[in-house]
Amino acid sequence: MRAVENALGITITDNARIIRNIINGIQYVQDHVIHFYHLHALDWVDVVSALKADPAKTASLAQSISDWPNSSPTYFKAVHNKVKTLVESGQLGIFASGYWGHPAYKLPPEANLMAVAHYLEALDWQRDVIRMQALLGAKNPHPQTWLVGGMAIPIDPNSQNALNAGSIAFLKDLAKKALAFVEKVYIPDLLAVASFYKEWAGIGAGVGNYLSYGEFQNDNVSNTTNVWLPGGYIRNKNLSKVEPVDHKQVTEDVAHAWYKYTDGDDKAKHPYDGETTPNYTGPKPPYEFLDTNKKYSWVKGIRYNGLSSEVGPLSRMLIAYASGHKRVKEVVGLVLSKLGVGPAALFSTLGRTAARGIETLVTAEMLPVWIDDLAAKIKAGDIRIHNNEKWDPSTWPKEAKGFGLHEAPRGALGHWVVIKDGKVANYQCVVPGGWNSSPRDAKGQRGPYEAALVDTPIKDPNKPLEVLRTIHSFDPCMACAIHMVDSNRDPIIKVRVV
Amino acid sequence: MAKIAIDPITRIEGHLRIEAQVDGGKVTDAWSSGTMWRGIELILKGRDPRDCWALTSRI
Repeated sequence: MRAVENALGITITDNARIIRNIINGIQYVQDHVIHFYHLHALDWVDVVSALKADPAKTASLAQSISDWPNSSPTYFKAVHNKVKTLVESGQLGIFASGYWGHPAYKLPPEANLMAVAHYLEALDWQRDVIRMQALLGAKNPHPQTWLVGGMAIPIDPNSQNALNAGSIAFLKDLAKKALAFVEKVYIPDLLAVASFYKEWAGIGAGVGNYLSYGEFQNDNVSNTTNVWLPGGYIRNKNLSKVEPVDHKQVTEDVAHAWYKYTDGDDKAKHPYDGETTPNYTGPKPPYEFLDTNKKYSWVKGIRYNGLSSEVGPLSRMLIAYASGHKRVKEVVGLVLSKLGVGPAALFSTLGRTAARGIETLVTAEMLPVWIDDLAAKIKAGDIRIHNNEKWDPSTWPKEAKGFGLHEAPRGALGHWVVIKDGKVANYQCVVPGGWNSSPRDAKGQRGPYEAALVDTPIKDPNKPLEVLRTIHSFDPCMACAIHMVDSNRDPIIKVRVV
Repeated sequence: MAKIAIDPITRIEGHLRIEAQVDGGKVTDAWSSGTMWRGIELILKGRDPRDCWALTSRI
């Protein structure tokens, strides 16, 4: 969207900008909470151990860290019964194939039961609060109301079928629910769980270079630096210097990726000149191991200024922190002091997971602010949602180039477009999961996941729970595919002693 | 010394394979492989630029 608006020189309207910020904001909040409870928590929380918990003691624990109302012994007894029925059935359902009982699990049974209870609560909560996106974006996922030049959602205080005072009140109510859960459940749980795993503040740092494009625009032009969360680049964990972002420094090579470049696979290309010619040279499935000296991934070797770079909430929070962002600094300081660790602890698996929580809190706090901005515009009589000056292709130049930089929940997302005669001549997307999961490049530099895994302790190679902790801390998104696992398939772990 | 491969990594979006060399109770080297091809760039060629957002948001 921003790439095309940038190519055609389109400025969007205030209302469109604010609505885009609100949708993006609730996506951060919902995605991060789902990631913590449903994709990452079970790397730290042993569901089966929760059976040994005393519901009354669990209630005391929950009440000691938060005044969230669902914390009575009766409540935890009911959750305990639910888990017991599941485990005794022999069919663990959503909790199947975990490494339950693994020696790297350290939480006491009561903390495990509390976390399992909140895993279930978070499922209901996320369904509720994402109605903010459903209201403004028509549905979730894949909102439908985006439009080059603005948004396709009418604002009319006098219509039942448009954004009006009623919908603003509804949005405010959902934003309140979103923030309450983050403040009273997610953050206390995160701190409680983290306090048992502090050694993970020294594991999983990875490449130590952090990129953010900056997000939540305060003005209406693509790629503006006038944003709520600043963009920047931190090199080699140096928090005393944040470099400005230059999109020309983004390159991709295919030295270890299954593509062919016309002028050499190890030549790094800027996305404007990007090529996407698949060239699978890997083994024929099923195979035991890849030949990692050659090409071994469908992800290109994405680099910034030639360096392997991490993107995501940790990058955004480090850049905001190092740039002096007031609220981020406060919350980072609070989290570090509660855990009794210094800022260097952020460069780790635990830091990545904590930064996601910090970002969720500060973003949830902004949702009501943006909704108020929108309400104030409407009240003042500004209902403009779309700038259609350059909608008609006859107003476009014969050739145009544009880029759009955005911070998706999982990190830096850039699109580059070349338009010729009103049609797309080239398009390249460089996505957050690509940055983090990228393979080695022509110089042999490891990608962020690869670097973060080196030196990770492994108690049992047959049950590599520790690998999952670090990989999940990045919140991988390998192109958001529909993914099915056959229950009769081979085991997902292959180990060969060499 | 052991080499391990985890494929697929679950509780993520999409398809990811990790291979790791484990020695003395620690990972000594690792490789990350995206095992699914995306190809959205090819789908977009020749399209109306005003439709790109709707197609790319499916990634």
